[in-house]
Amino acid sequence: MRQMLAIDYEYCSGCHTCEIACQQEHGLAPDKFGIELKQIGPDEISKNKWQYEFLPVPTDRCDRCAVRQSQGKLPSCVQHCQAGCIYVGTLEELADKINKKKVALFS
Amino acid sequence: MGSEEESRTPVAKRSTQDDPTGRAWTWEEDGYTVIRSNARSGPGCHDNCGVLMYVKDGVLEKIEGDPENPYNQGRLCPRCLAFKEMLYHEDRLRYPMKRAKEDRGKNTFERVSWEEAYDIIEREMKKVIETYGPEAIWVTQGTGRDINGYGPLMAQYFGTPNYGTGFLSGQACYAPRIFSTALKAGGLFICDYSQFFPDRYDDPRWTPPEYVLIWGNNPVVANSDGTLGHWIVESMKRGSKLIVMDPMLTWVAGKADVFLQVRPGTDAALALALCNVIIEEGLEDKEFVDLWCYGYDEFKEHVKKYTAAFAAETCGVDEELIVEAARKIGKAKSACLQWGVAMDHTSEGFITGMACFDLMALTGNFEKPGTMVAANPVWDMSVTWMPREKVWAECSEPVKDQGRTMNFKYPALASMAAISPDMLLEAMETGEPYPIKAMFMMQNNAIACMGAAPQRILPALQKMDFNVVVDLFLTPTALACADVLLPAACFAERIGITGHQPYALGAIAQAVEPQGECKSDQRIIYETGSRFTTDDYKQWDDEQGFYDYLLRNTGYTYEEMRERTWAYPEFEYNKQEKGMLRHDGSVGFATSTGRYNFYCPEMLHFGLSPLADYEEPPESPVSRPDLAEKYPLVLTTGARPWGFFHSEHRQSPSMRRLHPNPTVSIHPETAAQYGISEGDWVKLENSFGSCKQKAHLTVRIRKDTVSADHAWWFPERGPEDGTLFGVMESNINRLIPMRPGKVGLGASYKSQLCSISKIEE
Repeated sequence: MRQMLAIDYEYCSGCHTCEIACQQEHGLAPDKFGIELKQIGPDEISKNKWQYEFLPVPTDRCDRCAVRQSQGKLPSCVQHCQAGCIYVGTLEELADKINKKKVALFS
Repeated sequence: MGSEEESRTPVAKRSTQDDPTGRAWTWEEDGYTVIRSNARSGPGCHDNCGVLMYVKDGVLEKIEGDPENPYNQGRLCPRCLAFKEMLYHEDRLRYPMKRAKEDRGKNTFERVSWEEAYDIIEREMKKVIETYGPEAIWVTQGTGRDINGYGPLMAQYFGTPNYGTGFLSGQACYAPRIFSTALKAGGLFICDYSQFFPDRYDDPRWTPPEYVLIWGNNPVVANSDGTLGHWIVESMKRGSKLIVMDPMLTWVAGKADVFLQVRPGTDAALALALCNVIIEEGLEDKEFVDLWCYGYDEFKEHVKKYTAAFAAETCGVDEELIVEAARKIGKAKSACLQWGVAMDHTSEGFITGMACFDLMALTGNFEKPGTMVAANPVWDMSVTWMPREKVWAECSEPVKDQGRTMNFKYPALASMAAISPDMLLEAMETGEPYPIKAMFMMQNNAIACMGAAPQRILPALQKMDFNVVVDLFLTPTALACADVLLPAACFAERIGITGHQPYALGAIAQAVEPQGECKSDQRIIYETGSRFTTDDYKQWDDEQGFYDYLLRNTGYTYEEMRERTWAYPEFEYNKQEKGMLRHDGSVGFATSTGRYNFYCPEMLHFGLSPLADYEEPPESPVSRPDLAEKYPLVLTTGARPWGFFHSEHRQSPSMRRLHPNPTVSIHPETAAQYGISEGDWVKLENSFGSCKQKAHLTVRIRKDTVSADHAWWFPERGPEDGTLFGVMESNINRLIPMRPGKVGLGASYKSQLCSISKIEE
C-alpha cells in the first residue's frame, strides 16, 4: 500500500519546523526543500472572519524518511511538527485523520 | 564538597507523578552516543524542551525532540533543530579575550588565559570598589533564561545591590505584571494547558479551557515565559476556542471566535469594558466572587464608566465584538488568560495585567482545570526562576547597605528589591545620585536588543572605567564596550538544571566538550567570585558539586536528576480551598486580605489606583494630537518572528532564511498614501530618533499602525567596518525613550508614534 502524508492544515501554524527538520535530516541547504510551507490568505472571507493559514507541501526530494522509518522512527517532519498536524500512513491507516475539514492528502 | 555538606541529614526524595523506571539519560544507537537533555540556556528561548543529542567522535551530528519528554512530546522548533549552526559557527567566541580600553569599538581583542582574564577582572573591579564603592558596579543579564537564578550571585560576590536586566526601561518584561498580580492574587498564575501532568492531555483530572483569551501575545511564535505556544494548538484540537486581542492578525487571531484588533496601548480599556459587560449582564461567578474576592462592590461601581461604547471608541474596535467577547467569557465553563510581554510595553499599560486578572476572578477562572493555576517553583527551587534572598547566603558576604540599590525614586521597585535600569543609565551619564563605573554583562546584547534609546546607552557604556561581557558571540554590545570578553558555553556543552517554569524540574546534560575554552555562565560566576570571597564561604571546584548544593533540599543529586532528566512534582487544583497557597496553611489567596483583591489597598502606597484604571499612552493620537500631526502613525515594535530569539540567530543560515531583513509591516492602503511599495527601504522617525527597515505590505496590520522588528544587527558584515555590525541602522529602539511608567515599571516599547517615508536609493 502506498504511504501518504496527511496534513491537517486547520492546525498548521506556519512554524517552518517541517522544513528545517527535513533539511537537517537530509543535509539540505537552507534553500532546498523536501517539504515547503505555503501560505493561504490573509483573506477576509466575511466581516471579521479571516482565512490566514499555512500548508506544507512535500517535494520530489521527500522520501518519507525511509531510513528513519526502517529504524522504527517517524519521518522527521511528522515527529517534530510543533502543531502535531502531519501524519504518515496508508490511506487505511489515515482514515480517522482525514475525516474532517481542512486535511490535505499527499499520495 | 566540604565536610559540612557531607554531614547534612539526607533529605527524603520528594515524591513525583512520573515513574522514571526504564528511562535512561544516555545510550548507544546506530553508531551514535545519544544524550537525553533539556535545552536550557542559550542559544534559544525561555523553554526547557526535551532533546536527544546524537554524538559521534565527540561531534554533535544531530539533535531531535525527545518523544518521551512530557514537555514537548518529541516536537522541536526550528531554532533547536538547526542548533548545530550556532554551536559550531565559525564566529563563536572560543577563548577569553582582553582589549585596551582606548580600543573600545575596534576589533583588537587579544586571547588571554582564564587566569589572566580573572586577574584583570579582580584588579579592575577592586579598583572600582575601593574608589567608588561596590554599588558602582552594575551586574546585568539579558532576558530571563537560566541566568535569572545565578546572576544575583555574581552581584553578591562584588557586593553590589545593582543587579538586573541591562537597560530594559521600566523592567518591562514580566516584572510589571508580576508586581501587580502578586498584590492582586498573591502570586503568579498561568493558563493550564495540562503542562503540570506528565501524561498531559490524557490526564483525567484535566479539561481544556473552553476559551483561551490570548492578549497581545503570539504564543506559537513567542513561547513566552515557559509556555510552549503549541500547547494551545493541542488544546484547540480538544475543543478550546480562542478570543484574541492584537493589533495584528496573527495565525491565532485568524482562528479566533472573536478577534479584537485594538490600537496599541489601549487594551486596559478593553479589559475593563469586558468586566463591565459581564457585570451588567449578570454573568459573573457569584460564588467565587463571594467566597474568594475582596472589594467587588467598589470594582462594580468603578467599571461602570468603562462601557463597551467607550472601549470601542478608545480601542478602535466594533462595540458588538466587545459585547460578544464578554458574553463568551462570561458564559464559558472555563477560560484562561494567555498574556505576554506586550502588557509591560506600554508605560502605564501593565495595569492591563491587573484588569485581565480581574476579568479572570470575576468569572471564577482560578485553580480549576483549564483556568489560571498557581505557578510556584518546583520544590521551592527558586533558583530556577527568581532566587529568594537566602539562596546564595552561604556563598559570600551578604550585600551591605541595601539602601543603595538604584531604585529609591520608585517604592514599587524597592518592594521587589529590583533596580531601575532607567535610573542606572542616568547615573552612568551624570554620576547622580552616585556614579556607576563598571559593568558585568551576561547574555546581554543591550545595544541591539532590550535597551531603549541605544543612542544614549552606547556612549554611556563606552565611558565606563571597566566592562566585562560574557556571551556566545562577539555581539555589537561586546564589540562596543568589552575590556574583558568571556566565552559562554551552549546548552550541549555544559551541565545544569532546568527552570523558568513550575511544572517539572530537570537536568541539562552535557553532550560534547565545549568549543575552545568556553565555560558555562555558572562556572564563570563562581570562578570569578572566588576572587571576591573568602574561605569562610562555600566555594566549588566542579559544577556537579555546585548543582548538588542547590538541589540539597529536594532529595536529589545532580546525577540522580540527570538520570531521570525530568521530575514532575505532585499537583492539585483548588489550592486556595486546601490552604496550599498561603504560607500559614490557611485557606484563601496569599494576599493581605486572603482574597483576590479587586480593590487592592497596597496600590495606594505605590502611587497607583487601588482599582485597575485606563490611561492613554504618553504618546498617542489621543494624548498628543500635536505630535501626531508630525508623526501620524502608531508604532508598535518587537513582534516575534520565527527563527530568531531576540538578537540571537542572525548568523544561523537556516534561521536567517526565514527572516532575512529588518522588516516593518504596514497596511497596503497606508503604504499607498506614502508611496511605499513592498520591499522598499523606509525611514521610521519620531521625536526620539529614527532608523531604517524594509517595508512589508500586509492587510494583517491596522491601517493606523506600523509594526517594526526589534533586535537587528548584521553579523555577516564582520567587526571591522566601524559600524558595530550596523547595530544602529535598523535599530527601532532609537525611537523608544528610556523612560519608565510613573511608578518605575513598564515602558513604551509597543505604543509610540512615528512617521514613515520611502528612502530613495
